Amino acid sequence: MELGFYLLQLLTGLAYASTLFLLAVGLSLIFGAMGIVNFAHGSFYMLGAYLLYAFAQGQAQGFWQGLLLVGAAGVVIGALVERLFIRPIYRRPEEYQILLTYALLLILEDLVRFAFGAAYRSFPMPPAFANPLFVLGTPFPSYYLFLVGLAALVAFLLWAFLQRTRLGVWVRAATQDREMLEALGVNVPLLYTTVFAGGIALAALGGAALLPLQAATPGMAVDAVIQAFIVVVIGGLGSVWGALLGAVLIGLLQAFGILLLPEMAMVFPFALMALVLLLRPWGLLGRPPAVRT
Amino acid sequence: MKVLRWVGVLALVVGLAWAQGQQPIKIGALFILSGNFAGYGKSGSQGAQLAVDEINARGGVLGRPLQLIVVDDQGNPEVGVREARRLILQEKVDFLFGVDSSSVSLAVAPLTDEYKIPLVVTHAATPTLTEQCRPYVFRTSNNARMDAWAAAALAATLPVKRWANIGPDYEFGRVSWQDFITRLKQLRPDVEVVSEQWPRFGSTDYASFITALMRARPEGVFSTLWAGDMVIFARQAKAFGFFNQVRYFVNPVGAALEVLGPLGKEAPEGLLVSARYWFLYPNTERNRAFVEAYRKRYNEYPSYNAQEAYAGMHMLALAIQKARSTQAEAVRRAFEADGGLTYDAPEGRKRLRPEDHQVFEGLVWGYTKHTPEYPFAILDRMRIIPATDTVYPTQCKR
Repeated sequence: MELGFYLLQLLTGLAYASTLFLLAVGLSLIFGAMGIVNFAHGSFYMLGAYLLYAFAQGQAQGFWQGLLLVGAAGVVIGALVERLFIRPIYRRPEEYQILLTYALLLILEDLVRFAFGAAYRSFPMPPAFANPLFVLGTPFPSYYLFLVGLAALVAFLLWAFLQRTRLGVWVRAATQDREMLEALGVNVPLLYTTVFAGGIALAALGGAALLPLQAATPGMAVDAVIQAFIVVVIGGLGSVWGALLGAVLIGLLQAFGILLLPEMAMVFPFALMALVLLLRPWGLLGRPPAVRT
Repeated sequence: MKVLRWVGVLALVVGLAWAQGQQPIKIGALFILSGNFAGYGKSGSQGAQLAVDEINARGGVLGRPLQLIVVDDQGNPEVGVREARRLILQEKVDFLFGVDSSSVSLAVAPLTDEYKIPLVVTHAATPTLTEQCRPYVFRTSNNARMDAWAAAALAATLPVKRWANIGPDYEFGRVSWQDFITRLKQLRPDVEVVSEQWPRFGSTDYASFITALMRARPEGVFSTLWAGDMVIFARQAKAFGFFNQVRYFVNPVGAALEVLGPLGKEAPEGLLVSARYWFLYPNTERNRAFVEAYRKRYNEYPSYNAQEAYAGMHMLALAIQKARSTQAEAVRRAFEADGGLTYDAPEGRKRLRPEDHQVFEGLVWGYTKHTPEYPFAILDRMRIIPATDTVYPTQCKR
């Protein structure tokens, strides 16, 4: 009974970690490769949730098809946003990025409110996940296991992409030395568009994948981006593995922390972040800022 | 010719006086119109506007029309104070109105003393607001303590002893649970608390909290999760079989249409919930007419926040009428006179307690149930808690 309960709590912690990872990984990828602090990341996450709702017309049967369409729409929207808004400010000081992406966040929130209204939108559970699985006699929603699998798949594919493909090598090289990469004949602007589109598609997919367990609202963007920043600050801004580690740490800390100190649930992520900032300001798997010569 | 000149002067004087009389009475309303709680602010401002239009259609108050100016306070105390100050100094409003968030209401309240501008609160529910005994602050909706006491009165009649809590981790959630469990222990000394869970306000993942709660095997669970928190929690808890294990789930703000609407047919049945106003109760001419007028105008059912803002606006108009003035002191006396202003709202009789300016009213509870007539769950087996069961003592004196 007790062992079964701890296993259950481990699973709920991992499920929460998966949602955080899907939310944060695109943010970290974009910063790592492009140096862009994308405050609008949560907005694309929100957009993914609303687009799934629209594509599937609120019907559970349209879930899988809707998910594919959201991924495709994310790539297109990401590429367009990069070309139209982000590209003109690469060489400007960082304040411009923050102002621009924050403005995007406000604009997208109002656009969504205009299109879908202010009320919460919930999406029914896809038929494949209608029945719970039983973990040592306790019902456990099968959709959480799907999320854990999805997060693991995204992590694996990103690893394979970054380590095993030529494009991945360029992305990693871009984090080191953009000028050298350009001198070697790589089309860096195109590379940036690709990375940004991929990061946005990940955010949109995350929002869509979490919709059956949550609810869409125009205000979810701000909350999402704050959570994503907590995760990547703990893990190391720019590191995909850091995002994974940060998400797992927060998920498990919450799941087991509330058993010991139920009063403190809200404090755990912030306490962890404060601790990491004190001991390793660049995050657990981040790199300390190099001294430019 | 001399006569004509005098007629001209007279016409001018009368005209000026008439124009003066036609100056609108300006009411500045603060509601949350952006972010996660925009749905509540929207229904509040709609209810207020409906009342203003009704009042103006019958000739306004003191022969002057009402003018409603709605601004977005974002649920943020700093923004609320800034906007309230702007309404007073630039828009020259005569009254402040509305306010969804408790923290905004507490931040704005001191302005009523500073500028002698009365504030009529129709949503923010922290008991502290009226316990500050400010002369120009009035609350025409019930507050969280009354909700908690009503919940305790109901819980005391239920055949269960093991209670637990899951509430948002901020003042509203904490104070409501304290009020509820303290009152319940007075009424039923044999109850025990087996678990308390405090997820962050605005959480999107409740899985760990749900399994931790279920492990404690409570028979009754009290909750003040509201808005999207309740929508998300209910869906996730249902997937865990939570509502099959827990016999009574009691939530004083769970019957808000902003919760039951988005949950649709997915809402669990048998939750014991309330919402300060439920559009199907009471089955009176007055309430049916209000629901119909609201639906005709906005194409949706009135949520509790809509009805509370509607009733609050009518109470303010009554007070101005009775005071024959818009001056703060005269309006205060009108609210307090004759044992407190009363108003027959769609939901029933509201009476303002003169000492603390808090309105008391009967509260409707019920168990969620799905019917073919509505796309969302409605209240079944309704339980009416009379106003007298929620009258807590006040420190204020007049």
